[in-house]
Amino acid sequence: MTKPLADVAPAATRREFLRAAATVGAAAAAPYVITSKALGDATTPPASDRIVMGGIGIGNMGKGDQGAFLNRPDVQYVAVCDVRQKWREEGKARADAKYGNQDCAALIDFRELLSRDDIDAVHIATPDHWHAIMTIAACRSGKDVYLQKPETLTLHEGPLMIAAARRYGRVVSGGSQRVLGDYRGIVDPIWAGEIGNVKSIDISVGGPSMPCYLPAQPTPPDIDWDLWLGPAPWEPFNSGRCDGNYGTGGNSWRSYVDYSGGSLTDWGAHHFGGAIFAADLRELQPTKVTYHPAAADGKTAAYMSVTYPNGTELFHNRPAHLRPAPSVAHQGAIQVAGDGKPRAAKPVPQYRNGESNIYGDFIECAKTRQRPFRDIELAVNTMTTPHMIAIGYRLERSLTWDRASQQFKNDEGANRLLDRARREPWSIS
Amino acid sequence: MPFDLTTLDEPLKTLAAYDWGADAAPFKAIDAAVIAAHADKALRAELEKRFTDLLGGGTTRAAKEYVCRKLMMIGTATSVPALAALLGDSDNSHMARFALERIPVPEAGNALNKALATVSEPLKVGMISSLAARRDPACVTALTALLKGSPLLAIPAANALGSIHSAEAVQALAAADPFAGEGVGEAIVNARLACAEAFLAGGKRTDALAIYQALAKAASGKPDAKAVELAATRGILTCADAVATAS
Repeated sequence: MTKPLADVAPAATRREFLRAAATVGAAAAAPYVITSKALGDATTPPASDRIVMGGIGIGNMGKGDQGAFLNRPDVQYVAVCDVRQKWREEGKARADAKYGNQDCAALIDFRELLSRDDIDAVHIATPDHWHAIMTIAACRSGKDVYLQKPETLTLHEGPLMIAAARRYGRVVSGGSQRVLGDYRGIVDPIWAGEIGNVKSIDISVGGPSMPCYLPAQPTPPDIDWDLWLGPAPWEPFNSGRCDGNYGTGGNSWRSYVDYSGGSLTDWGAHHFGGAIFAADLRELQPTKVTYHPAAADGKTAAYMSVTYPNGTELFHNRPAHLRPAPSVAHQGAIQVAGDGKPRAAKPVPQYRNGESNIYGDFIECAKTRQRPFRDIELAVNTMTTPHMIAIGYRLERSLTWDRASQQFKNDEGANRLLDRARREPWSIS
Repeated sequence: MPFDLTTLDEPLKTLAAYDWGADAAPFKAIDAAVIAAHADKALRAELEKRFTDLLGGGTTRAAKEYVCRKLMMIGTATSVPALAALLGDSDNSHMARFALERIPVPEAGNALNKALATVSEPLKVGMISSLAARRDPACVTALTALLKGSPLLAIPAANALGSIHSAEAVQALAAADPFAGEGVGEAIVNARLACAEAFLAGGKRTDALAIYQALAKAASGKPDAKAVELAATRGILTCADAVATAS
């Protein structure tokens, strides 16, 4: 069996060795390490030019992300990490099957994966309560990061994640594959100037997450429950608390406030992301959050809106009869109204170097050190909107946001909800 | 119309014996009261009293957790003693911090700082994390003392000092060994970089530059400190950019 390359030498040494070996035809001198796959061929770059990756959180979306990266010839996938044995073993099996060996490491604790010097980049698809901690730790470990959406669980986390990425010069891409992929029907006409200036956007998507009161169940032996909870409050195991399915109705972690922002941030990351990109608002954060209470007649539920510094208003679940006629729409989930005034066309931002999807965009940026399409700063800006809306719903009141201080103005109660204490030993400072 | 407090009697009685999986429907009335309390000082005071009474009694862990979540939203200095009493209890310490970390009164910070000296080592890490989140300069002396001890505490202490980035915190970090082993040195460097970034963001370019230059000097010629030298050099260049932008 070929010994894992990671056990042979740290990344720089290994790469220098491989490069030198390939150059001088010294493979025969090192048959233990050099394989034909390592040297590359017409479709596969040599190992020294591949991005060495590992994955953290490898079920559901993590599985999809792993598949996307495994299929790239310029990625060498070497490790999976998951607190669940089933996901861990399946993830390792997929990588091993791809490469025809048994080399993919299967780890429980992400810190072990991040400690490996041979790994260049990680993809993270854990529940949301882990995103900030792992992203910051990965940056500090010198890894680039592809991070599933929603990138943040609290408003406070975003600036810390941006700071870590910039401080350590890391490429950190958010993970909505849909923002550029699914919304061209609204993106293209808006960027072409066809509807004039965007005045209002209506987004229809589910609401915030809820508290979890599920009963205790026996903790199965194939999960590290303490590590699954991580920074979240200790609560007893229940399969409905931690299942990774995409529902938000109570049988998944996406339902619950300790682990997720609910549909509002989960599908919301796509819909808000698509709308905010279409309206070219990704550099901005809202200044006003407005709570529209339910009508006394009981026919109109409460809804929220935010106002951007340029005057664009974005509504969440505004009743249909209160909406203006849309200029463009996406499947009823996003309706955009423009003012119809002439406006110059702008080129639509694209993935780097002609890449066709967000995974390729990330890998291209990891190679070239460019900022990706959904750079962490743009992702954080995007996610501020559903997070603010969630706080508005929770407090049932309107809010004013000061971007410079990252605080709500004159609202001590709202500022308490900017973040939450993490269970020891976890922190993001 | 004043909130009818009698509507809370039964839900609070239910709450005292609540365990995960029991009917949580009665909590809706309590949740509504907490929201209403933001605009009703009398209601807030009454709720806080009832919540803190629950913390002190023989209530379940699940009940205490629920109460801490509510005190996180409406707690004042009045809640601090009851919450502080839970900080040394491994079952409830985190949820006590869950409330205390977000209650914006100095009494909450003082309670966390005091507990830092008394709770077990694993729980101390939590105290440090919450003090960092509060950016409480009053705890700098205690955090500084931890820098030379166990890495389990020295690392979060360094991170916390970077978050606080007061003059005293910056001084303490400058005096610490940026190449200490077991991850401590990396945390110290990270914290100093965080301080420099905070200075830059606040327009204190000279202070930021001093940190970057000191780090670059410390790392110069050390083969294992290339990353530190690189980060410091990038910081120095950023300071130059800041000057160019300002001029």
